[in-house]
Amino acid sequence: MIFWLFLYAFSFAQGVPKTQPALLEFSAFSYGSIALFSSSSLAISIAYSIYYASSSLVYSFRFTRLNLSSYIATLIGSSSALGIILSAIMIACTYIIIFSLKFGFNLAPANQLGAFGVSALAGVFMMTFALFLVLLVVNYAGLQNISLVTFILLILAFGLGLATVNSPLPTGLLYGSPYNAIQTLLYTTYSGLAAHAQLSDPTSAILQWQYMVASLIAWIVLLLGVDGLLLRRLKPRQAEEGRQI
Amino acid sequence: MTVAYNKRSTEDPILRKLNLELNQEKAVIVGPNGSGKSTLFKAILGLAPISGGAVKLFGIDAMSERQDTRVSTNLAEVYRIAYVRVRDLVSIFAELKGGNPQETLGMFRDFELESILGKKVHELSTGQAKMFGNILAVCFSPKLILLDEPFDNVDNRRRRRFIEILRGLDVETVIITHEFNLLQRLGDWGLYSMLEGRLWGKFSVSQLDRLFITRGDMRDALGVMDTSLGKLSVTLDHGDIAVKTARSLNAVLGEV
Repeated sequence: MIFWLFLYAFSFAQGVPKTQPALLEFSAFSYGSIALFSSSSLAISIAYSIYYASSSLVYSFRFTRLNLSSYIATLIGSSSALGIILSAIMIACTYIIIFSLKFGFNLAPANQLGAFGVSALAGVFMMTFALFLVLLVVNYAGLQNISLVTFILLILAFGLGLATVNSPLPTGLLYGSPYNAIQTLLYTTYSGLAAHAQLSDPTSAILQWQYMVASLIAWIVLLLGVDGLLLRRLKPRQAEEGRQI
Repeated sequence: MTVAYNKRSTEDPILRKLNLELNQEKAVIVGPNGSGKSTLFKAILGLAPISGGAVKLFGIDAMSERQDTRVSTNLAEVYRIAYVRVRDLVSIFAELKGGNPQETLGMFRDFELESILGKKVHELSTGQAKMFGNILAVCFSPKLILLDEPFDNVDNRRRRRFIEILRGLDVETVIITHEFNLLQRLGDWGLYSMLEGRLWGKFSVSQLDRLFITRGDMRDALGVMDTSLGKLSVTLDHGDIAVKTARSLNAVLGEV
Protein backbone atom coordinates (compact mmCIF):
# COMPACT_ATOMS: atom_id res chain seq x y z
CA MET A 1 0.00 0.00 0.00
CA ILE A 2 2.75 2.45 1.00
CA PHE A 3 4.63 1.51 -2.16
CA TRP A 4 1.62 2.34 -4.32
CA LEU A 5 1.05 5.63 -2.49
CA PHE A 6 4.63 6.73 -3.20
CA LEU A 7 4.28 5.61 -6.81
CA TYR A 8 1.10 7.59 -7.30
CA ALA A 9 2.49 10.68 -5.51
CA PHE A 10 5.95 10.77 -7.07
CA SER A 11 5.42 9.21 -10.50
CA PHE A 12 1.83 9.08 -11.68
CA ALA A 13 1.14 12.66 -10.52
CA GLN A 14 3.63 14.13 -12.99
CA GLY A 15 0.97 15.32 -15.46
CA VAL A 16 -1.54 16.53 -12.88
CA PRO A 17 -2.00 20.32 -12.68
CA LYS A 18 -0.47 21.60 -9.45
CA THR A 19 -3.63 23.21 -8.14
CA GLN A 20 -5.47 22.28 -4.98
CA PRO A 21 -8.72 21.11 -6.68
CA ALA A 22 -6.86 18.99 -9.26
CA LEU A 23 -4.56 17.45 -6.67
CA LEU A 24 -7.48 16.76 -4.33
CA GLU A 25 -9.23 14.85 -7.10
CA PHE A 26 -6.02 13.01 -7.93
CA SER A 27 -5.53 12.13 -4.24
CA ALA A 28 -9.09 10.87 -4.05
CA PHE A 29 -8.60 8.75 -7.16
CA SER A 30 -5.32 7.36 -5.79
CA TYR A 31 -6.96 6.57 -2.46
CA GLY A 32 -9.76 4.66 -4.21
CA SER A 33 -7.43 2.70 -6.51
CA ILE A 34 -4.94 1.74 -3.84
CA ALA A 35 -7.73 0.72 -1.48
CA LEU A 36 -8.96 -1.64 -4.20
CA PHE A 37 -5.55 -3.27 -4.60
CA SER A 38 -4.90 -3.47 -0.86
CA SER A 39 -8.28 -4.87 0.10
CA SER A 40 -7.93 -7.51 -2.65
CA SER A 41 -4.61 -8.66 -1.20
CA LEU A 42 -6.01 -8.69 2.33
CA ALA A 43 -9.04 -10.72 1.30
CA ILE A 44 -6.86 -13.26 -0.50
CA SER A 45 -4.79 -13.90 2.60
CA ILE A 46 -7.91 -14.46 4.71
CA ALA A 47 -9.61 -16.65 2.11
CA TYR A 48 -6.46 -18.77 1.78
CA SER A 49 -7.07 -20.02 5.32
CA ILE A 50 -9.77 -22.22 3.75
CA TYR A 51 -7.07 -23.82 1.61
CA TYR A 52 -5.07 -24.95 4.64
CA ALA A 53 -8.01 -25.70 6.93
CA SER A 54 -10.42 -27.49 4.57
CA SER A 55 -10.26 -30.84 6.42
CA SER A 56 -10.54 -29.13 9.77
CA LEU A 57 -13.55 -27.12 8.63
CA VAL A 58 -15.32 -30.18 7.19
CA TYR A 59 -14.79 -31.95 10.54
CA SER A 60 -15.72 -28.89 12.59
CA PHE A 61 -18.99 -28.20 10.72
CA ARG A 62 -20.03 -31.82 11.42
CA PHE A 63 -18.62 -32.60 14.85
CA THR A 64 -18.31 -29.30 16.73
CA ARG A 65 -20.67 -26.44 17.42
CA LEU A 66 -19.24 -24.44 14.53
CA ASN A 67 -21.97 -23.65 12.05
CA LEU A 68 -21.76 -22.13 8.60
CA SER A 69 -23.57 -18.92 9.54
CA SER A 70 -21.32 -18.10 12.47
CA TYR A 71 -18.20 -18.96 10.48
CA ILE A 72 -19.22 -16.69 7.61
CA ALA A 73 -20.24 -14.00 10.09
CA THR A 74 -16.78 -14.21 11.66
CA LEU A 75 -15.13 -13.80 8.27
CA ILE A 76 -17.37 -10.83 7.45
CA GLY A 77 -16.75 -9.21 10.81
CA SER A 78 -13.01 -9.58 10.50
CA SER A 79 -12.92 -8.36 6.90
CA SER A 80 -15.03 -5.28 7.63
CA ALA A 81 -12.91 -4.46 10.68
CA LEU A 82 -9.75 -4.88 8.62
CA GLY A 83 -11.30 -2.72 5.90
CA ILE A 84 -11.87 0.09 8.39
CA ILE A 85 -8.36 -0.22 9.84
CA LEU A 86 -6.90 -0.25 6.34
CA SER A 87 -8.94 2.81 5.47
CA ALA A 88 -7.73 4.70 8.54
CA ILE A 89 -4.10 3.90 7.75
CA MET A 90 -4.57 4.80 4.11
CA ILE A 91 -6.26 8.11 4.89
CA ALA A 92 -3.47 9.01 7.29
CA CYS A 93 -0.79 8.03 4.77
CA THR A 94 -2.50 9.64 1.80
CA TYR A 95 -3.30 12.89 3.56
CA ILE A 96 -0.50 13.47 6.00
CA ILE A 97 2.55 11.64 4.83
CA ILE A 98 2.47 11.66 1.10
CA PHE A 99 0.09 13.91 -0.74
CA SER A 100 -0.11 16.94 1.55
CA LEU A 101 3.63 16.89 2.25
CA LYS A 102 4.55 16.23 -1.39
CA PHE A 103 2.40 18.91 -2.93
CA GLY A 104 2.16 21.41 -0.09
CA PHE A 105 -1.64 21.64 -0.16
CA ASN A 106 -4.14 20.60 2.48
CA LEU A 107 -5.61 17.53 0.84
CA ALA A 108 -7.77 16.45 3.75
CA PRO A 109 -10.51 13.91 3.03
CA ALA A 110 -13.95 15.46 2.96
CA ASN A 111 -15.87 12.63 4.62
CA GLN A 112 -13.74 10.31 6.78
CA LEU A 113 -16.71 8.46 8.29
CA GLY A 114 -18.13 7.85 4.85
CA ALA A 115 -14.73 6.54 3.76
CA PHE A 116 -14.69 4.14 6.72
CA GLY A 117 -18.15 2.90 5.84
CA VAL A 118 -17.26 2.32 2.20
CA SER A 119 -14.02 0.62 3.22
CA ALA A 120 -15.94 -1.73 5.50
CA LEU A 121 -18.26 -2.63 2.61
CA ALA A 122 -15.25 -2.99 0.30
CA GLY A 123 -13.58 -5.33 2.78
CA VAL A 124 -16.70 -7.47 3.00
CA PHE A 125 -17.13 -7.60 -0.78
CA MET A 126 -13.50 -8.56 -1.35
CA MET A 127 -13.77 -11.21 1.37
CA THR A 128 -16.92 -12.78 -0.09
CA PHE A 129 -15.51 -12.69 -3.62
CA ALA A 130 -12.13 -14.13 -2.60
CA LEU A 131 -13.94 -16.81 -0.60
CA PHE A 132 -16.07 -17.64 -3.65
CA LEU A 133 -13.00 -18.10 -5.84
CA VAL A 134 -11.10 -20.13 -3.23
CA LEU A 135 -14.12 -22.40 -2.65
CA LEU A 136 -14.47 -22.98 -6.41
CA VAL A 137 -10.84 -24.04 -6.55
CA VAL A 138 -10.98 -26.22 -3.41
CA ASN A 139 -14.25 -27.92 -4.35
CA TYR A 140 -13.96 -28.28 -8.12
CA ALA A 141 -10.78 -27.07 -9.78
CA GLY A 142 -8.13 -28.62 -7.53
CA LEU A 143 -5.56 -26.90 -5.39
CA GLN A 144 -3.03 -26.77 -8.24
CA ASN A 145 -5.09 -23.82 -9.50
CA ILE A 146 -5.11 -21.87 -6.24
CA SER A 147 -2.78 -19.18 -7.60
CA LEU A 148 -5.55 -18.27 -10.07
CA VAL A 149 -7.43 -16.69 -7.16
CA THR A 150 -4.73 -14.08 -6.61
CA PHE A 151 -4.40 -13.50 -10.33
CA ILE A 152 -8.14 -13.01 -10.93
CA LEU A 153 -8.65 -10.67 -7.99
CA LEU A 154 -5.72 -8.41 -8.85
CA ILE A 155 -6.47 -8.35 -12.56
CA LEU A 156 -10.05 -7.29 -11.83
CA ALA A 157 -8.88 -4.66 -9.34
CA PHE A 158 -6.45 -3.17 -11.84
CA GLY A 159 -8.66 -3.57 -14.87
CA LEU A 160 -12.08 -2.59 -13.62
CA GLY A 161 -10.80 -0.14 -11.03
CA LEU A 162 -8.69 1.88 -13.47
CA ALA A 163 -10.90 1.47 -16.54
CA THR A 164 -13.03 4.50 -15.77
CA VAL A 165 -10.16 6.98 -15.89
CA ASN A 166 -9.99 7.40 -19.64
CA SER A 167 -12.48 4.92 -21.08
CA PRO A 168 -16.19 5.64 -21.49
CA LEU A 169 -17.84 2.49 -20.20
CA PRO A 170 -21.49 1.48 -20.61
CA THR A 171 -23.78 2.67 -17.79
CA GLY A 172 -24.74 -0.92 -16.95
CA LEU A 173 -21.11 -1.82 -16.33
CA LEU A 174 -20.48 1.37 -14.37
CA TYR A 175 -23.30 0.66 -11.95
CA GLY A 176 -23.04 -3.12 -12.08
CA SER A 177 -19.31 -3.41 -11.38
CA PRO A 178 -18.56 -3.65 -7.67
CA TYR A 179 -14.98 -2.58 -8.36
CA ASN A 180 -16.18 0.63 -9.97
CA ALA A 181 -18.61 1.10 -7.09
CA ILE A 182 -15.79 0.89 -4.52
CA GLN A 183 -13.48 3.12 -6.53
CA THR A 184 -16.21 5.69 -7.15
CA LEU A 185 -17.54 5.78 -3.59
CA LEU A 186 -14.06 6.14 -2.11
CA TYR A 187 -13.31 8.91 -4.60
CA THR A 188 -16.51 10.70 -3.61
CA THR A 189 -15.96 10.36 0.16
CA TYR A 190 -12.36 11.56 -0.07
CA SER A 191 -12.87 14.46 -2.50
CA GLY A 192 -16.38 15.47 -1.48
CA LEU A 193 -17.17 15.65 -5.20
CA ALA A 194 -19.57 13.62 -7.32
CA ALA A 195 -17.80 11.07 -9.51
CA HIS A 196 -18.11 11.20 -13.27
CA ALA A 197 -18.59 8.21 -15.58
CA GLN A 198 -15.18 9.01 -17.04
CA LEU A 199 -12.95 10.51 -14.39
CA SER A 200 -10.81 12.42 -16.88
CA ASP A 201 -13.87 13.97 -18.54
CA PRO A 202 -15.80 16.33 -16.22
CA THR A 203 -18.53 16.66 -18.85
CA SER A 204 -19.43 12.97 -18.66
CA ALA A 205 -22.46 11.81 -16.70
CA ILE A 206 -22.43 12.03 -12.91
CA LEU A 207 -22.70 8.69 -11.14
CA GLN A 208 -25.32 8.40 -8.41
CA TRP A 209 -23.65 7.20 -5.20
CA GLN A 210 -26.91 5.65 -3.92
CA TYR A 211 -27.01 3.23 -6.85
CA MET A 212 -23.36 2.41 -6.29
CA VAL A 213 -24.02 1.50 -2.65
CA ALA A 214 -27.05 -0.58 -3.65
CA SER A 215 -24.99 -2.38 -6.33
CA LEU A 216 -22.21 -3.18 -3.86
CA ILE A 217 -24.64 -4.47 -1.25
CA ALA A 218 -26.45 -6.58 -3.85
CA TRP A 219 -23.16 -8.18 -4.89
CA ILE A 220 -22.33 -8.90 -1.25
CA VAL A 221 -25.69 -10.54 -0.61
CA LEU A 222 -25.42 -12.64 -3.77
CA LEU A 223 -21.89 -13.78 -2.96
CA LEU A 224 -22.83 -14.57 0.65
CA GLY A 225 -25.55 -16.90 -0.58
CA VAL A 226 -23.25 -18.66 -3.04
CA ASP A 227 -20.45 -18.89 -0.46
CA GLY A 228 -22.82 -20.55 1.99
CA LEU A 229 -23.77 -23.17 -0.61
CA LEU A 230 -20.15 -23.83 -1.53
CA LEU A 231 -19.07 -24.07 2.12
CA ARG A 232 -21.79 -26.64 2.70
CA ARG A 233 -20.12 -28.72 -0.03
CA LEU A 234 -16.56 -28.06 1.13
CA LYS A 235 -14.16 -30.85 0.16
CA PRO A 236 -11.36 -31.84 2.52
CA ARG A 237 -8.05 -31.33 0.75
CA GLN A 238 -4.43 -31.85 1.67
CA ALA A 239 -2.20 -28.79 1.32
CA GLU A 240 0.22 -30.98 -0.65
CA GLU A 241 -2.28 -31.06 -3.48
CA GLY A 242 -1.42 -27.39 -4.14
CA ARG A 243 2.12 -28.23 -5.21
CA GLN A 244 2.85 -26.88 -8.67
CA ILE A 245 6.03 -28.79 -9.33
CA MET B 1 -19.08 -48.96 2.57
CA THR B 2 -16.72 -48.57 -0.37
CA VAL B 3 -14.17 -45.77 -0.54
CA ALA B 4 -12.24 -44.69 -3.62
CA TYR B 5 -10.41 -41.40 -3.94
CA ASN B 6 -11.01 -40.92 -7.68
CA LYS B 7 -12.74 -42.45 -10.68
CA ARG B 8 -9.59 -44.29 -11.72
CA SER B 9 -9.47 -46.18 -8.45
CA THR B 10 -13.15 -47.22 -8.25
CA GLU B 11 -12.22 -50.59 -9.77
CA ASP B 12 -9.61 -51.02 -7.06
CA PRO B 13 -11.04 -49.11 -4.12
CA ILE B 14 -9.21 -48.50 -0.88
CA LEU B 15 -12.08 -49.89 1.22
CA ARG B 16 -14.17 -52.68 -0.29
CA LYS B 17 -17.77 -53.22 0.81
CA LEU B 18 -16.72 -52.85 4.41
CA ASN B 19 -19.23 -53.57 7.16
CA LEU B 20 -18.67 -52.53 10.73
CA GLU B 21 -21.25 -52.11 13.46
CA LEU B 22 -20.39 -51.02 16.97
CA ASN B 23 -22.88 -50.90 19.78
CA GLN B 24 -21.51 -49.21 22.88
CA GLU B 25 -18.28 -51.17 22.80
CA LYS B 26 -14.56 -50.63 22.51
CA ALA B 27 -12.59 -52.12 19.66
CA VAL B 28 -9.15 -52.32 18.16
CA ILE B 29 -8.44 -52.56 14.46
CA VAL B 30 -5.11 -54.02 13.44
CA GLY B 31 -3.71 -54.33 9.97
CA PRO B 32 -0.59 -53.92 7.87
CA ASN B 33 0.45 -50.58 6.42
CA GLY B 34 -1.70 -49.55 3.49
CA SER B 35 -4.62 -51.80 4.39
CA GLY B 36 -7.04 -48.88 4.68
CA LYS B 37 -7.27 -48.41 8.45
CA SER B 38 -6.82 -44.64 8.49
CA THR B 39 -9.03 -44.32 5.41
CA LEU B 40 -11.81 -46.02 7.38
CA PHE B 41 -11.66 -43.29 10.03
CA LYS B 42 -11.48 -40.55 7.41
CA ALA B 43 -14.55 -41.98 5.67
CA ILE B 44 -16.46 -42.08 8.96
CA LEU B 45 -15.55 -38.45 9.62
CA GLY B 46 -16.39 -37.28 6.10
CA LEU B 47 -12.76 -36.69 5.16
CA ALA B 48 -12.64 -39.37 2.44
CA PRO B 49 -15.13 -39.81 -0.40
CA ILE B 50 -17.53 -42.74 -0.01
CA SER B 51 -18.28 -44.22 -3.43
CA GLY B 52 -20.75 -46.78 -2.15
CA GLY B 53 -22.70 -47.50 1.03
CA ALA B 54 -23.27 -45.25 4.00
CA VAL B 55 -21.98 -44.35 7.43
CA LYS B 56 -24.33 -43.88 10.36
CA LEU B 57 -23.31 -42.43 13.69
CA PHE B 58 -25.76 -42.89 16.56
CA GLY B 59 -28.35 -43.81 13.92
CA ILE B 60 -27.87 -40.64 11.88
CA ASP B 61 -26.40 -40.52 8.37
CA ALA B 62 -22.90 -39.11 8.88
CA MET B 63 -23.11 -37.04 5.69
CA SER B 64 -25.99 -35.03 7.16
CA GLU B 65 -24.39 -34.66 10.57
CA ARG B 66 -24.11 -31.10 11.79
CA GLN B 67 -22.79 -29.82 15.10
CA ASP B 68 -22.70 -33.26 16.73
CA THR B 69 -20.06 -32.91 19.44
CA ARG B 70 -20.26 -36.56 20.44
CA VAL B 71 -17.59 -37.70 17.98
CA SER B 72 -13.91 -36.95 18.37
CA THR B 73 -10.64 -38.10 16.89
CA ASN B 74 -6.90 -37.60 17.09
CA LEU B 75 -6.39 -37.17 13.34
CA ALA B 76 -3.96 -34.28 12.93
CA GLU B 77 -5.69 -32.61 10.00
CA VAL B 78 -8.86 -31.83 11.95
CA TYR B 79 -6.96 -29.55 14.32
CA ARG B 80 -5.48 -27.28 11.63
CA ILE B 81 -8.34 -24.80 11.79
CA ALA B 82 -6.07 -21.85 12.56
CA TYR B 83 -2.37 -21.02 12.56
CA VAL B 84 -2.11 -20.42 16.30
CA ARG B 85 -0.35 -21.85 19.34
CA VAL B 86 -1.38 -25.14 20.97
CA ARG B 87 -2.85 -23.29 23.94
CA ASP B 88 -5.06 -21.25 21.60
CA LEU B 89 -6.13 -24.37 19.69
CA VAL B 90 -7.17 -25.90 23.01
CA SER B 91 -9.29 -22.81 23.74
CA ILE B 92 -10.83 -22.85 20.26
CA PHE B 93 -11.81 -26.50 20.38
CA ALA B 94 -12.97 -26.24 24.00
CA GLU B 95 -15.40 -23.56 22.88
CA LEU B 96 -16.39 -25.47 19.73
CA LYS B 97 -16.95 -28.69 21.68
CA GLY B 98 -18.58 -27.03 24.69
CA GLY B 99 -15.85 -28.17 27.03
CA ASN B 100 -13.64 -26.72 29.74
CA PRO B 101 -10.24 -25.62 28.45
CA GLN B 102 -8.74 -25.70 31.96
CA GLU B 103 -9.44 -29.43 32.28
CA THR B 104 -7.70 -30.03 28.97
CA LEU B 105 -4.74 -27.90 29.96
CA GLY B 106 -4.61 -29.93 33.16
CA MET B 107 -4.27 -33.10 31.10
CA PHE B 108 -1.32 -31.58 29.27
CA ARG B 109 0.26 -31.00 32.68
CA ASP B 110 -0.51 -34.60 33.73
CA PHE B 111 1.38 -35.80 30.69
CA GLU B 112 4.20 -33.31 31.40
CA LEU B 113 3.55 -31.57 28.11
CA GLU B 114 3.16 -27.98 29.33
CA SER B 115 6.19 -27.01 27.25
CA ILE B 116 4.28 -27.51 24.01
CA LEU B 117 1.43 -25.15 24.90
CA GLY B 118 3.34 -22.11 23.68
CA LYS B 119 4.34 -23.70 20.37
CA LYS B 120 2.59 -23.99 17.04
CA VAL B 121 1.63 -27.48 15.91
CA HIS B 122 4.27 -27.64 13.16
CA GLU B 123 6.95 -26.93 15.80
CA LEU B 124 6.07 -30.03 17.82
CA SER B 125 7.96 -33.30 17.63
CA THR B 126 6.09 -36.23 16.04
CA GLY B 127 5.35 -37.74 19.45
CA GLN B 128 4.26 -34.41 20.93
CA ALA B 129 1.93 -33.79 17.98
CA LYS B 130 0.47 -37.28 18.44
CA MET B 131 -0.16 -36.66 22.16
CA PHE B 132 -1.71 -33.28 21.33
CA GLY B 133 -4.27 -35.02 19.12
CA ASN B 134 -4.76 -37.85 21.65
CA ILE B 135 -5.52 -35.45 24.50
CA LEU B 136 -7.96 -33.36 22.47
CA ALA B 137 -9.67 -36.57 21.32
CA VAL B 138 -10.48 -37.76 24.85
CA CYS B 139 -11.42 -34.39 26.33
CA PHE B 140 -14.74 -32.54 26.02
CA SER B 141 -16.91 -35.59 26.91
CA PRO B 142 -17.15 -37.42 23.58
CA LYS B 143 -19.36 -40.46 23.13
CA LEU B 144 -17.33 -41.97 20.27
CA ILE B 145 -13.56 -41.67 20.05
CA LEU B 146 -11.63 -42.65 16.92
CA LEU B 147 -7.89 -42.95 17.57
CA ASP B 148 -5.52 -43.50 14.67
CA GLU B 149 -2.21 -45.02 15.80
CA PRO B 150 -2.32 -43.18 19.14
CA PHE B 151 0.92 -44.75 20.36
CA ASP B 152 3.13 -43.98 17.36
CA ASN B 153 6.33 -42.19 18.41
CA VAL B 154 5.02 -41.81 21.98
CA ASP B 155 7.34 -42.85 24.81
CA ASN B 156 6.41 -45.87 26.95
CA ARG B 157 5.51 -43.88 30.03
CA ARG B 158 2.99 -41.71 28.19
CA ARG B 159 1.69 -44.76 26.31
CA ARG B 160 0.92 -46.57 29.56
CA ARG B 161 -0.68 -43.46 31.05
CA PHE B 162 -2.85 -42.94 27.96
CA ILE B 163 -3.95 -46.59 27.91
CA GLU B 164 -5.05 -46.25 31.53
CA ILE B 165 -7.13 -43.24 30.57
CA LEU B 166 -8.70 -45.15 27.67
CA ARG B 167 -9.52 -48.12 29.86
CA GLY B 168 -11.16 -45.81 32.39
CA LEU B 169 -13.38 -44.04 29.86
CA ASP B 170 -16.92 -45.36 29.51
CA VAL B 171 -17.35 -44.35 25.88
CA GLU B 172 -17.28 -46.15 22.53
CA THR B 173 -13.68 -46.17 21.40
CA VAL B 174 -12.03 -47.50 18.28
CA ILE B 175 -8.27 -47.65 18.11
CA ILE B 176 -6.15 -48.36 15.07
CA THR B 177 -2.77 -49.75 15.95
CA HIS B 178 -0.20 -52.21 14.78
CA GLU B 179 1.46 -52.45 18.21
CA PHE B 180 0.44 -55.95 19.36
CA ASN B 181 2.38 -55.69 22.62
CA LEU B 182 0.15 -52.84 23.79
CA LEU B 183 -3.06 -54.72 23.04
CA GLN B 184 -2.43 -57.01 26.03
CA ARG B 185 -3.50 -54.15 28.30
CA LEU B 186 -6.89 -53.73 26.65
CA GLY B 187 -8.57 -56.75 28.15
CA ASP B 188 -11.89 -57.59 26.59
CA TRP B 189 -11.92 -55.05 23.78
CA GLY B 190 -13.14 -56.30 20.41
CA LEU B 191 -10.49 -57.06 17.82
CA TYR B 192 -10.83 -56.59 14.06
CA SER B 193 -8.29 -57.19 11.37
CA MET B 194 -8.08 -55.08 8.23
CA LEU B 195 -6.43 -56.52 5.16
CA GLU B 196 -6.46 -55.08 1.63
CA GLY B 197 -9.42 -52.80 2.33
CA ARG B 198 -11.58 -55.46 3.99
CA LEU B 199 -12.44 -55.85 7.64
CA TRP B 200 -12.43 -59.22 9.36
CA GLY B 201 -13.71 -60.10 12.81
CA LYS B 202 -14.98 -59.70 15.41
CA PHE B 203 -12.44 -61.44 17.63
CA SER B 204 -11.41 -60.44 21.14
CA VAL B 205 -8.24 -58.86 22.39
CA SER B 206 -8.34 -61.35 25.26
CA GLN B 207 -7.95 -64.13 22.68
CA LEU B 208 -4.78 -62.57 21.29
CA ASP B 209 -2.49 -65.09 23.03
CA ARG B 210 -4.47 -67.95 21.51
CA LEU B 211 -4.93 -66.68 17.95
CA PHE B 212 -3.13 -68.26 15.03
CA ILE B 213 -3.11 -67.54 11.32
CA THR B 214 -3.06 -70.48 8.94
CA ARG B 215 -2.90 -70.66 5.14
CA GLY B 216 -6.02 -72.13 3.64
CA ASP B 217 -9.66 -72.49 4.59
CA MET B 218 -9.80 -74.26 7.96
CA ARG B 219 -13.05 -75.81 9.06
CA ASP B 220 -12.79 -74.61 12.66
CA ALA B 221 -11.60 -71.13 11.79
CA LEU B 222 -13.02 -68.15 13.65
CA GLY B 223 -12.86 -66.30 10.36
CA VAL B 224 -11.42 -66.77 6.86
CA MET B 225 -9.77 -63.82 5.15
CA ASP B 226 -9.73 -63.71 1.36
CA THR B 227 -6.49 -61.93 0.42
CA SER B 228 -3.99 -61.62 -2.39
CA LEU B 229 -1.91 -64.15 -0.43
CA GLY B 230 -4.77 -66.61 -0.74
CA LYS B 231 -7.20 -67.65 1.98
CA LEU B 232 -5.95 -67.09 5.53
CA SER B 233 -7.81 -68.66 8.42
CA VAL B 234 -7.85 -67.22 11.93
CA THR B 235 -7.88 -70.14 14.33
CA LEU B 236 -7.81 -70.63 18.08
CA ASP B 237 -5.04 -72.53 19.90
CA HIS B 238 -3.50 -74.03 16.78
CA GLY B 239 -2.24 -72.98 13.39
CA ASP B 240 0.81 -71.95 11.35
CA ILE B 241 1.80 -68.68 12.98
CA ALA B 242 0.94 -67.43 16.46
CA VAL B 243 -0.26 -63.89 16.30
CA LYS B 244 1.16 -63.14 19.76
CA THR B 245 4.71 -63.88 18.65
CA ALA B 246 4.64 -61.12 16.09
CA ARG B 247 5.12 -57.45 16.86
CA SER B 248 2.66 -56.61 14.14
CA LEU B 249 0.35 -58.04 11.51
CA ASN B 250 2.93 -57.06 8.90
CA ALA B 251 5.32 -59.52 10.49
CA VAL B 252 2.68 -62.28 10.70
CA LEU B 253 1.80 -61.92 7.03
CA GLY B 254 5.47 -61.90 6.15
CA GLU B 255 5.95 -65.25 7.86
CA VAL B 256 2.77 -66.82 6.41
